Amino acid sequence: MLAALLLCLGSCVYHLYRIISMGAAPEYARKAGNTAMAVRYSFTGAMNPKNKESASLHLPTYTAGLIFHAGTFLSILLFFVFLFDINPGMALLRVFAFFLALSGFSGILILLKRMAKSELRSLSNPDDYISNILVTAFQLITALLIFYPQLYPAYCISATMLLLYFPLGKLKHALYFFAARYHLGLFYGWRGVWPPKPISK
Amino acid sequence: MKREVGSKLLSHVNACVHCGLCAESCVYYKFRPGEHFVPGKKADVVSSVYRRYNTLSGRMFPWLTRARKLDDATIEDMVDLLYGSCTMCGRCNKHCSVGVDIEFLIRTGRAMLAEMGYVPETLQKTVDAAITTGNNMGIPTREFIDTLQWLEEDLQYEVNDDKAFIPINEKGRNILYTLNPREPKFFPLSISAMAKVFYAAGESWTLSTEMYDVTNYAYFSGSLDEGRIIAQRLCDEMHRLEAKKCILAECGHGSRAFRWEAPNYLQKEFPFGVDTSVELLAEYIREGRIIVDPEKNQEVVTLHDPCNLTRGGGIYEEQRYILHKCVKNFVEMNPPGLDNLCCGGGGGQLSMSEYNERRMGIAGLKAEQIKKTGAAVVATPCHNCVDQLIQTNAAYKLNVKIKTLAEIVADAIVLENEEKSNT
Repeated sequence: MLAALLLCLGSCVYHLYRIISMGAAPEYARKAGNTAMAVRYSFTGAMNPKNKESASLHLPTYTAGLIFHAGTFLSILLFFVFLFDINPGMALLRVFAFFLALSGFSGILILLKRMAKSELRSLSNPDDYISNILVTAFQLITALLIFYPQLYPAYCISATMLLLYFPLGKLKHALYFFAARYHLGLFYGWRGVWPPKPISK
Repeated sequence: MKREVGSKLLSHVNACVHCGLCAESCVYYKFRPGEHFVPGKKADVVSSVYRRYNTLSGRMFPWLTRARKLDDATIEDMVDLLYGSCTMCGRCNKHCSVGVDIEFLIRTGRAMLAEMGYVPETLQKTVDAAITTGNNMGIPTREFIDTLQWLEEDLQYEVNDDKAFIPINEKGRNILYTLNPREPKFFPLSISAMAKVFYAAGESWTLSTEMYDVTNYAYFSGSLDEGRIIAQRLCDEMHRLEAKKCILAECGHGSRAFRWEAPNYLQKEFPFGVDTSVELLAEYIREGRIIVDPEKNQEVVTLHDPCNLTRGGGIYEEQRYILHKCVKNFVEMNPPGLDNLCCGGGGGQLSMSEYNERRMGIAGLKAEQIKKTGAAVVATPCHNCVDQLIQTNAAYKLNVKIKTLAEIVADAIVLENEEKSNT
């Protein structure tokens, strides 16, 4: 598991290095807006469901996605908690377990939606299913481990698989999401599109 | 693909999670729901090629991420998805759950196809016309000058001043004003409208007979080399005429192509100012250089925001300011501004007759938007949009008038001699 962790971290460092070292493409057109504010808006206001149809028109999926991703971050946090043998207390762990059960359930719903809708099936590749299954399984096994320590070998297998798979497929979006939103904010900020301007009357 | 520098391409090809939530943001999908028109699918055909040749999993296990070889089947899909199923309106960018610049990926895909010679013939012909004749409609210079001469007479009559004129190829003027070749060819009154505005503002301006075309269809075809040639010509004309500022006529993609893309095509910052005529009209009104009276435009007016000007160029406040000042009854479409729906004519669709059925299908969405406003006039600062809206007007029996902003402003102008005769 530790070797897998090192491999995964190494891959993250490699991708981060590429993103940072390649930087942003030079813009020769005269700047018309505030790029810093636009990048901030890209991560805040632009993500607000009222500004984004992908969220406002799909609130159940959007909510399930948010819970699923929060569960992913929580399970990663707990991975390090377990790794460094930190004891946050059983009461807190029970709350975490409950949330991970909920996020795991969200992951299953998202997976079922992907399998059920023909449009989504057409858009999906094996990586989409594998990534979801690995992350959902990791969240659920983390939740179970809190109550059943004897599941530790299964937990190690799940964590190892997830860490090894990370560099291969879409899980990399954990890094590229931030890079994409940064670039989008930069692009719209340079042209004065974002943050949106007030409309005069 | 490697022409794009920086980590922008790397980031966007790796960020999509195939959630499909972008579907409803696309006018093609709204018109005909189905997997084919989901923006994520269009972006993925580009990303899949990237994965095949640039990622470990794509090279070793292409089935895992459905990484595609750039073979005939892929190219056929790319042509239909990237040219035939997208107006490059960029609405999906704003609504993507992750923040993938889908439109950028579409443009990258078009650039790849252009490099390999797969631009649809109809679109390529428009680019070729611009390259070989200097304007995308192939208007001979003599014909253009004749048109300007009768427009000048029209202007003199309109402003009741025998000395009013349309300057041609004058050096050292403040403004070099560009045109969409559709103006001299089909809509000359929009030229005289702008000439009237310049007259009222007392502007120092000129038109060029050598290079007046604001459009750059190579932006749509994806050909960076041809895009550069067209952009360089306008740059050269700015230098030749020693103009201080280039004012881009009401043309969404033309404005975007020269204001935002051309400096990157040519990899240099322009030593002269570049503004759109929309910004200039708003400036004239704000600064009191022209006096306008909204009572002169009594009909209900709505606004169609051109995608390239609005989402692609940040101009969405100015046109509203102008309309509030120049018309009595202005009503917004729903959704407006940054969320406005493409009219269907963008992305080179007006040139690509092979996709007409889809284009006019999308037009139905715009027709519904217009109908709901109850407006008698649709204003839009883009000649491509004007063309598409005129066809929409006929096909969906809307019975509305389509006008440019310059035409609306010109109608609202109160000239000095008018003021005097009223007092």
